[in-house]
Order: sequence, then C-alpha cells, then structure tokens
Amino acid sequence: MIALNSVTKKFGTFTAVDNITYRIEKGEYFALLGPNGAGKTTVVRMLLDFIKPTSGSITIDGIPVSNPEARKRVGYLAEHHMISSHLSGLEYLRRHASLIGLAGKDALMEVDRLLGVVSMKGREKEKSAAYSKGMKQRIGLAGALLGQPKLLILDEPVTGLDPIGIRDVRKILESLRDNGVTVFLNSHLLSEVEKTCQTLAIMNNGKILVKDSIRSIIEDEETLEDVFIKYVS
Amino acid sequence: MNNFLKITGYTIRDQMRYKSFYVLLGLSILFVLMIRGCYSGQYIVNGKQLANITVAWHVSKIVFQVIASGMFLIVILLSMKIFSRDHEDGSLVLFLSRPVFRRQYILGRIAGTWFLCLVFMFILHATIFLTVWVKTGDTIPGYLSASLVCSINLLFIAVLVCFLSLYLPDFISAVFTVGILFVGYISDGGHQILNSEILRTAVPSAAASPPALWRILYPKVYMVQAYADSIIGQSSFNNMGPLNPILNVSFFVILITTLMLVVFNKKEI
Repeated sequence: MIALNSVTKKFGTFTAVDNITYRIEKGEYFALLGPNGAGKTTVVRMLLDFIKPTSGSITIDGIPVSNPEARKRVGYLAEHHMISSHLSGLEYLRRHASLIGLAGKDALMEVDRLLGVVSMKGREKEKSAAYSKGMKQRIGLAGALLGQPKLLILDEPVTGLDPIGIRDVRKILESLRDNGVTVFLNSHLLSEVEKTCQTLAIMNNGKILVKDSIRSIIEDEETLEDVFIKYVS
Repeated sequence: MNNFLKITGYTIRDQMRYKSFYVLLGLSILFVLMIRGCYSGQYIVNGKQLANITVAWHVSKIVFQVIASGMFLIVILLSMKIFSRDHEDGSLVLFLSRPVFRRQYILGRIAGTWFLCLVFMFILHATIFLTVWVKTGDTIPGYLSASLVCSINLLFIAVLVCFLSLYLPDFISAVFTVGILFVGYISDGGHQILNSEILRTAVPSAAASPPALWRILYPKVYMVQAYADSIIGQSSFNNMGPLNPILNVSFFVILITTLMLVVFNKKEI
C-alpha cells in the first residue's frame, strides 16, 4: 500500500529523514513512534506530498505521491486540525465530499452518517469558530473518513480529545481495521498504540530504529513504553 | 465538476463572507450614488448652457477611471491574503490532502477572486451607465465593453499580488504591486501627455522622443485604461510600442501565472 524507498529529507544542512525504506501492506494498522523531532511529521507530510523528499521515492498503491491520484482514497487528519472559522462543520464536510467526487444525496447521507459516528450531530451547523479543539478534531476525523478511504493517515488523531473522545476514536479505528482499511498512525500515546496497532516502527534522528509487529517487538513482561525508551535512549 | 471550478466557487463564497468585502461594496455604491447629482446640474460655460449628455459623458468617463482605479485597490486587498490565510486556517491542507492538483488550487483561487472583482466593477460601471440613461435618456456606447477590457488589469494585479505573496509578507507584496503600477502610470501617462493633441497644439516644438525599450515592454496597465477610455470616447488611441496593451498585459498574466505554478509546485506546505 505504502512504499518508501531510500527516502531522505534535508532542511538546509539538517537531515530530518535519513534514508528510510519500508513498506506498509494493505490492511496493516501501522504506528510510527518517536520522540519529538524524530522526523515522524516530516514523513507524514511527504506521504501527502506537502513536501518533496530530497531523494528517494514514495508511492501509495504503486502511484507516486506527487500524482494527486494517489490521494483519491486517502483520508488525512492533522495533529492540530484547523477549520476555517467562517465554515460550519457541515460546510467543511461538504467541501471534502465534493473534492473527492461525492455529490447530491450520497454526499448528504455520508456526511450525516459520519457526523453521527464522530458524535457531532446537532452541532454541525455552528461556525467552527465556536468549536472546541476536540470538536474540530472530531469534524476532521469525519472528513478523513469520507468516501470510505482505503488508507487513513492520522497524525496524533486524539490530540485535544477528552477520554470519552479518545475511546470513541479508538473504537472507530478498530472497526476500520476490522474492515481492512490500512491505517498509518503517528502518535505519542503509547498505550493507545499498544491497544490498537499491529505493526510499528520507532524512529529517532530521522532513522527507523526498528519496524516489526508489536508482538515481536515487545518481549515478555515488557511494555511498549519500556521498548520505546530502550530504543530511543 | 472539475476541482478547478469547485475551488473557484469556494473562493467566491469565501471572499464574500468577509465583512471587509461588504464595507468596500457599500462604500463604492455610496460613491456611485453621490455622483448622481452631477447629471442633473445646470452647467454654463462661456455663457452657454451645456447639454446634459455632454456633462454626463465627461463625468462618466472620469468616474469610469476612478472606479477602475478603486478596483485595483480592492483586488489587491482581496488577493494579498489568499495563501497566508489558507495556510493559517487549514484550507490549504483541506484542498491538497485531496486529489487536487496544485495548479487547480492556484488557478481556482485566482479565478474566483478575479471573477468576483470583475463582477463588482461591472456592477459599478453598469450603475453609472444606467444612471446616465435614466437622467439623460441617452446611452454611452462602449461603456460596458470598456469595463470588460479593464478587467484584464484586475487579473494582472491579482496574479502579481499572489505571486509576490509567495515570497514576501502580504502587506509588502501589496505595496510592491502598487509601486509597479505607479511606475507604469508615470511612464505611460507621461507618454500619453507628451503625445496628446493639446500639448502638440500648445507647444508645436515639443517633439516627444521615442520611449526606451523597457518602457515599451513594461506592463501596460495604464495603457489598457487609456485604451478603454478610447473605446468610450470612440477616439483614436495613442499606443506606445507595436503591441496592443491588452496583449502586453495578457502576456504578463501568462508569464507570472506560469512562474507562480512552478514556484508553488515546489513550495513546502
């Protein structure tokens, strides 16, 4: 599904991502972990073609990410999701739907369904300026889920959410995993990753230190936190 | 529908949601309404009363240019924040995380802003046209087509401000654009005055030297205005250089848009 081949990204003399190569298979629930400044968000931005790699190539479903076709069935949720203050949640989602080719009744029904999924029904007509951070994050998640994506790229998806919101998001992601959706999760919340993900990679200083299934990485009587600290330190 | 058209539509709706748009529209309409009085006054020159249509014609020509110049400022104000605002409020991520080409985003944003300003200016010009018709029972042929001719200038300005705002802070890109327009107005305006009938009659010995090459190649925003003026007045147009100013400005629109697409394609978001 996702293939990174010898990808390097430099900002001036600073190497944010250093020659990384890995594949994420279809239906895989993958988490990218690492301390602040490890290069995780840079990888996410390159996956969406927001920034270009200095060298190497990235493909989604065999299509180079520089081709917008690669993003046809990709949903993305940013860490600090922003919605233009003059748009309501409903208008925002309709724009998303329109841009992926959903129109008419199908779009309305899909938007309505997802508003229910993210528990935002009844607030969808309010301007986003009135939304809390968590509510914006919920609307952002609904936007990412529009059009039944094959791949979800989530950058710290539970940022700003209360414990109930975190639980709701976990349930949504678990159901997506069960339906074979590929998930690329960038998160600091190790407990959440441990509960939901199948495979993970730990990144530091722009390099992938380990990539394997969670069961293979975590040894007996270890927690993911222990493993994370072991690799990063 | 093509994503370019969708983004164009969103841009028109987005721009119309800002209070500043309505403040500008309100002030413009107020200005146009204030002009009404000029058409019903009694004007006497050398003891002879001027015909209403003569007064209306002259006033309308002046107001035409005032509206067009005012629109330059409005299009600058509406264009200068497009990219920075989209970056800050997440609109850029909304569009580019979807299967949208960067060129569709850029062209859609510019086309939307331009179309809105074009309609804005056309409404103001049409108001003057109708006022003249109602007050004098006569029309000024070419007035509305001259308005459409001037819209190429609005496109040029929108493209230029957007391009500069990729490199410079919003306000500085607006100031730079005003500077570029100002230089053109001085250069082309000077040429128009030196080659005018009045100056030639008053000072027959004043022979205008041919303009320098840079003046011929410079964006001919002022000359487009002068060309529009000649359409209204159905008079001859005193061009500078071999190219019609519309072609000159169109060339710059294409050039700057191409540069902008190349630059924006490499831009990090």
